[in-house]
Amino acid sequence: MLTIIAIDALEHKLVEEFDLPNLKLDHYGKTNISEFSEARTMVLWSSFMTGKNQEADILAKGDKEMWNTKFELDETFFSKFKNPKVIDLPGYNYDLEQHERSRLLLREYFETEDEEKKNEVRKKYNDNAFAHHRIVKKEFEDALAAGHDLLLGYFSVADEIGHLNFGNKMMNKMIYKELDEIVSQVPGDKIVLSDHGMMAIGYYGDHSEYGFWSTNFEDLGNPKITDFREIIGKKYQ
Amino acid sequence: MKQEDLKFVIVGHIDHGKSTLIGRLFYDTDSLPEGKIEEVKEICDALGKDLEFAYVMDHLEEERTQGITIDTAQTFFKTEKRDYVIIDAPGHREFTKNMITGASQAEAAILIVDADEGVQEQTRRHAYILSLLGLEQVIVAMNKMDKVEFSEERYKKVSKDTVDFLTQIGAKATYIVPMSAKNGDNIASKSDKMKWYDGPIILDALDSFKSLVDRQGGELRYPIQDVYQMDDKRIFAGRVESGIIKAGEEIEVLPTGEKSTVLTVEEFNNPDKSQAVAGESTGITVKDKLFIDRGHVICHVGKGPVVSNEIKANLFWMANEPLKAGETVIFKLATQEAKCLVKKIEKRIDSSTMELIEENAGTLENREVGEVVLNFTNRIIVDDFNITPELGRFVIEKNLDTAGGGIITDLGGK
Repeated sequence: MLTIIAIDALEHKLVEEFDLPNLKLDHYGKTNISEFSEARTMVLWSSFMTGKNQEADILAKGDKEMWNTKFELDETFFSKFKNPKVIDLPGYNYDLEQHERSRLLLREYFETEDEEKKNEVRKKYNDNAFAHHRIVKKEFEDALAAGHDLLLGYFSVADEIGHLNFGNKMMNKMIYKELDEIVSQVPGDKIVLSDHGMMAIGYYGDHSEYGFWSTNFEDLGNPKITDFREIIGKKYQ
Repeated sequence: MKQEDLKFVIVGHIDHGKSTLIGRLFYDTDSLPEGKIEEVKEICDALGKDLEFAYVMDHLEEERTQGITIDTAQTFFKTEKRDYVIIDAPGHREFTKNMITGASQAEAAILIVDADEGVQEQTRRHAYILSLLGLEQVIVAMNKMDKVEFSEERYKKVSKDTVDFLTQIGAKATYIVPMSAKNGDNIASKSDKMKWYDGPIILDALDSFKSLVDRQGGELRYPIQDVYQMDDKRIFAGRVESGIIKAGEEIEVLPTGEKSTVLTVEEFNNPDKSQAVAGESTGITVKDKLFIDRGHVICHVGKGPVVSNEIKANLFWMANEPLKAGETVIFKLATQEAKCLVKKIEKRIDSSTMELIEENAGTLENREVGEVVLNFTNRIIVDDFNITPELGRFVIEKNLDTAGGGIITDLGGK
């Protein structure tokens, strides 16, 4: 059984700073995403699951439509497994409504000038992200015992909370520790993979230009996100 | 009346709940900055978790890193009896070095042991450090009792294992307290889940300890720093390390053993001064014409510390050039300075892992701890480290540099 803990915006520097053994597993490093013009979540996860740089095709859809991207099972390496389970992955089966709620709150936050209103919206935005995290975590934990030969859980909490709260170190540390605990519960072969990291822009966070990987079975060096299809294919052919 | 602060360190295996215990001590004594716990609780709730005190400590640590809180080095909490300072022990090596050189002086320790996992290798190493440092006020906090259903049987088993290994290394626990830092059992209030336990809870156990700096009630220890001649007066200046010195009292000077009476206790512009207490720097005059010099120690007659020409000590070496058995180095203790012969290096210990490297060694290398025997041509005045730390702790100079620091474990004979 292979479990992929797909984490949006897990920052390599913070994993090191907080010294989280489960996120680091036995081997860890940065992924190389320099082939992409920008670190975009939808582009990166789509490229990951298909093993092909999808940037041009996805950007051609335009800013709004790109979020509706949906690859079919047989277009992804998930189809190489007999009983795969993928939870909430962008470009495959993620919760569009949740994404839309988050996007609207983010817009509302930046459109208002009033500090009190900003705090109110920030709270709503955070609550929405945390509530979604609890749902995904529950589904992931239930799936761990369900006998899948591939389980992929996508966790967006570090990205969502990070965008509006990257300056709140404690909040981020608690989230990283939470993710570390989630990884600690996973038996067997596992890969922790992030599309990109996060860097501080004042109190806010923006995507950094490298991702994060770790495994408990092999040193992958400095892989591209599109390499994982082949890496996993070789190990599980 | 509140007593002096007590400084203590919490040691033990990394996963046995140190941060949680610290967080709980802060929380239960209402010592957390306002609003902090609420912030942490809010995020714990959002993540669907119970409040974890380790996060509270993370939060405080983060603020210290950012310089938000005023004090950057130490953390405090209070009970009705006294204030407590938790000394940070980032690593064995730093802690050992700081303790031995007096940079941070823990007066007591909590050794934390997981009730479920029992005594681990790291627990042993940390207990060994405590014994090496001569710390005698030790609470074994048997944490995570909730994980073993508050079982008395488990408490007895882990207690026995703990006592067995402490005995092996010549240490002992003052108390073994079954507790749960996570749930607050037996920390600040008695747990109703462990009615079988009739010993003290953690805070009461701490409150029962003696502060080493609370020494006014102790025996007089007045090491002489300097001798001044002012007009017709010969003033013996120093700092009272322990007890009280009063005009009119009979005193004895060590190591000479000469006796006299205190005529005056001197303070500039204060002719009414008649006594000086522990912690005060002062000067005295005596009735008789005695030979008193820097390094001598004044005490009450017959109640002095030990005058010795051979001691055993745990020595932390911190110079690139090793210490060699058989060589002569400079020994400094309080205001005393003496040449000393390194008679034996009985044990060489890795200060990071606390593993024994060699017995009866020829050298002690940088960053190692040695159990050594030191011999003196001129007798020195020493005292139990736990009674008068200043007379139980010393530094070694080599090539005019401070090269090591140690704690006396055997005072030798008179």
